[in-house]
Amino acid sequence: MVQKMISKEKISDLIKELQKEFKVFGPVKEEGVVLFKEITDAKEICLDYSNSKIPAKSVLFPMIDTLFSYKKEEKGVKIIENPPYEKTVILGIRPCDSMGFSLFKIFFSFGKYKDPLILNRLENITLIGMGCLEPRTTCFCTSVNGGPFNKESVDVLITEFKDNYYLESSTDKGEALIKKIKSLTDADKGDLAKIEKLQKDIESAIPVIKGLDSIHTKLDGLFDNPMWQLDAQGCLGCGACTYLCPTCHCFDVLDENKQDGSGRRIRIWDTCQFPLFTLETSGHNPRTTKLPRVRQRIYHKFNYYPKNYNIIGCVGCGRCIINCPVGSDIRNIFMSVENSSSKTEG
Amino acid sequence: MVRKIIDDIEKSIRETAKKLLEEGKVDLIIGYTKGSIPLRSGPCFITDASKTDMLVWNQSCDLNLAKYLAKNDDRKIGIISKGCVGRAIVHLIVEKQLNRENITIIGIPCEGVLNRAKIMVEIGDKEIIEADIEDDKIIIKGKDFNKTLPLQDYINQLCITCHYKIPPISDIILGNKKPEKPLKDDFKDLNEIESKSSKDKIEYFKKELNRCIRCYACREACPMCYCTLCFIDQNKPVWFGKTADISDNFIFHMIRAFHVAGRCVSCGACSSVCPMGIDLNFITRKLEKIVKERFDFESGISLEVLPPMGTHKFDDKQEFMIEED
Ligand code: SF4
Ligand code: SF4
Ligand code: SF4
Ligand code: SF4
Ligand code: SF4
Repeated sequence: MVQKMISKEKISDLIKELQKEFKVFGPVKEEGVVLFKEITDAKEICLDYSNSKIPAKSVLFPMIDTLFSYKKEEKGVKIIENPPYEKTVILGIRPCDSMGFSLFKIFFSFGKYKDPLILNRLENITLIGMGCLEPRTTCFCTSVNGGPFNKESVDVLITEFKDNYYLESSTDKGEALIKKIKSLTDADKGDLAKIEKLQKDIESAIPVIKGLDSIHTKLDGLFDNPMWQLDAQGCLGCGACTYLCPTCHCFDVLDENKQDGSGRRIRIWDTCQFPLFTLETSGHNPRTTKLPRVRQRIYHKFNYYPKNYNIIGCVGCGRCIINCPVGSDIRNIFMSVENSSSKTEG
Repeated sequence: MVRKIIDDIEKSIRETAKKLLEEGKVDLIIGYTKGSIPLRSGPCFITDASKTDMLVWNQSCDLNLAKYLAKNDDRKIGIISKGCVGRAIVHLIVEKQLNRENITIIGIPCEGVLNRAKIMVEIGDKEIIEADIEDDKIIIKGKDFNKTLPLQDYINQLCITCHYKIPPISDIILGNKKPEKPLKDDFKDLNEIESKSSKDKIEYFKKELNRCIRCYACREACPMCYCTLCFIDQNKPVWFGKTADISDNFIFHMIRAFHVAGRCVSCGACSSVCPMGIDLNFITRKLEKIVKERFDFESGISLEVLPPMGTHKFDDKQEFMIEED
């Protein structure tokens, strides 16, 4: 572990140095909305933010992702592969969203079929995370194995303290990176203890939701419980809670053909909340109403993930709570699970 | 003043709902309830007369509850209806999408709802922990800030031009405020965009629609979007692109707007629900104006007048048709 620091004013120097070797992505504000974009001018970065509207997964898993391009030729079709993925740094990603990256890695490398595109990108991405000095009231990362200063899934973690940013590496990749950046200086030892205390205080102030570690077993008995009807009746069936979730990774594959015989195969975001998601070619749809779709989101994250990968498929960022247009709150669903499972047992 | 009117209405909503359920006049009440974050409300569905205290009425009640009614629903439903909810019900009846007999329209006067997106832009990225409305001010509290905003500036633009604050048809009317005489809608709010050059208009459209992530919350919240299969979801064969690319976004929003032309009831739900804070009503307002000017029609006002898109007249203007020689 290496600890370094830089004064806040000099963050542009850090970005400029990174840009020599990497494509740098970071939070920027556009029309009042914070998103992760490539930083071309160091001044664009907005590090004083709570969390981005669209999670940083949009860098790893863009809304429109070209898998390959093609061109019809006299004999057959020529496949044009994507250019190699450039080395990339994501600066300022929150610890919950970086946990999302770890979940993407698990998901896209699980089993027989691996996703070379995502895995190759993950290899080439270095995450410089940014601890949360002001977690939102909707955050519950500490209940799902995370925390506002969790270092597990970042290569480097930044903590803002007074007029400085403190950087701490947590992987070899991160260590190698911050060792060679000239604009960083050795961390002020006197501050380090204070920072540790600050981190602990902030972390312990986040309310803990009890019972999430065993939620998958409770859900086992609740598949046909009437509670889902209550959640489903107000749900609009939109894409907000899943598209804006840092762990949702579902996609649809399409071909975009141009008249000149060229085209590209792309994948775009898709979600289990849409009826078309499960519509089979035969015309049969196993999930015809909102109820099974609402239930799927919860089961996937809190039952199938723990069973298949031994981890919860939610990182507690609270985006689904903030963005649901009808005010549905996943924390209330946790409560219903608790109540309903104690009822079924009793 | 406004606050008092709103609180009184909330009280009578609860009492009325309780009474209707107790007397068995309805099986279900659809109304608004508090969301779990400030400035957010949600729908609530009450069948138990002891639970009517969940019902709320305030300026964050921005959904159009008519969305939750359906033709094949046999239950007797009491629905809390501000003006635009009532208009949506009327229009849906005209389009033969609802059974009038099953619905008890509980009309309430509406003072307009808040434009949450505009407030969020003003507050920046900070979290709002508490929001209150007092007289003509919105008082916003966060962890380390307090902000007071003038209420009038943050009322939805559609609510400012709205001249049907109570439903055109209701079974019960709550609140003793007399409905104001309908103002003449002069569509002045469109002046700014209409005066732009074509190039600037396109730039403005692009700027707004670029952010769209194609979550379809706008469509799902719209009472007039009830198609079983939306044109955008047609995939055998594919009709239109479904990516969040600006050209695909543009097509989706323009065609959806055409599909609600002469049907849109100006409730603003499509914009209110958008997680990206996109204002879609600059498009729907323009269509509303065209329909008003060409056909002298307003949607959801009368059960008798057929909407222009549902009728055909030989003397309809069609100067846009190009004659072949
Ligand atoms: S389910 Fe909700 S809280 Fe959990 S990671 Fe997804 S958006 Fe965040
Ligand atoms: S919750 Fe739905 S959209 Fe999200 S990953 Fe699971 S199946 Fe996909
Ligand atoms: S965001 Fe809300 S309304 Fe939309 S699908 Fe999710 S729970 Fe349903
Ligand atoms: S288009 Fe928008 S404003 Fe018009 S009826 Fe639908 S939701 Fe309401
Ligand atoms: S609600 Fe907003 S982001 Fe979602 S599809 Fe509609 S305009 Fe796009």
